[in-house]
Amino acid sequence: MTTSKPVNLQPPAANADKAETRDEMGKSGTHRRSEVRLGREVQARIGQQLRAMYDDVVSQGVPPHIDELVRRLSEQDDGAA
Amino acid sequence: MKLDPAIRDQVLATVPSLRAFAISLCGNIDRADDLVQETLLRALAHIDSFQPGTNMPAWLFTILRNLFRSEYRKRRREVEDADGRYAETLKSHPEQTGRVEFSEFRAALGKLPSDQREALILVGASGFSYEDAATICGCAVGTIKSRVNRARTRLADLLAIDSVDDFGPDRATRAVLAGGGRT
Repeated sequence: MTTSKPVNLQPPAANADKAETRDEMGKSGTHRRSEVRLGREVQARIGQQLRAMYDDVVSQGVPPHIDELVRRLSEQDDGAA
Repeated sequence: MKLDPAIRDQVLATVPSLRAFAISLCGNIDRADDLVQETLLRALAHIDSFQPGTNMPAWLFTILRNLFRSEYRKRRREVEDADGRYAETLKSHPEQTGRVEFSEFRAALGKLPSDQREALILVGASGFSYEDAATICGCAVGTIKSRVNRARTRLADLLAIDSVDDFGPDRATRAVLAGGGRT
């Protein structure tokens, strides 16, 4: 009797364990669980987007006119004043 | 006196990131490049106040942020209006804000209060520690932490709402939503 359906019970329980115990304060059901998970996923994507957007500019390097400006100013005998 | 080439190179090495920060503050590439240029003029004129061996990026970012803030106040009398204007800039000059694929994300970023936006960028994109970000913004570390948290929460809301309602999901936002749903 007790051995009739261990296969059905165990995998979901094991999964739920991982997702739930870390994320949550209590078992308020699947809604809360997926909300938390969605939140984390969204946060990860936001981080990626943020860095992608930023790095897109960083990868453009130093614009020629700015490079020239810095080199010119740093050669001046007076300092830049 | 000539500038030590090592210091000059540190300045140049910071420029790409400084520009990215400026663009995210201004929402406009042309204005951002003016701001970067002005920052460098100011920095090189006062290079004596930089202590070799300390954090060059943090020093330059601080100058840029202060310039941006003071000009902000000069150009727009009401500081509260600044965020609305930023959003307007994005709407009227989408071509000046960078690549199209980031436009929706930039628009959402533009809806954040400016103090939250800068905190999020400094920590989440520029890679500064909370401590350095606090120095750059002239506030407490705890303040930076809470601004970053609020910015993240608000951004998640904005991206979710925008994709369903008015704008229709673009690729980036769909990726956000699809990723959240699938795993």
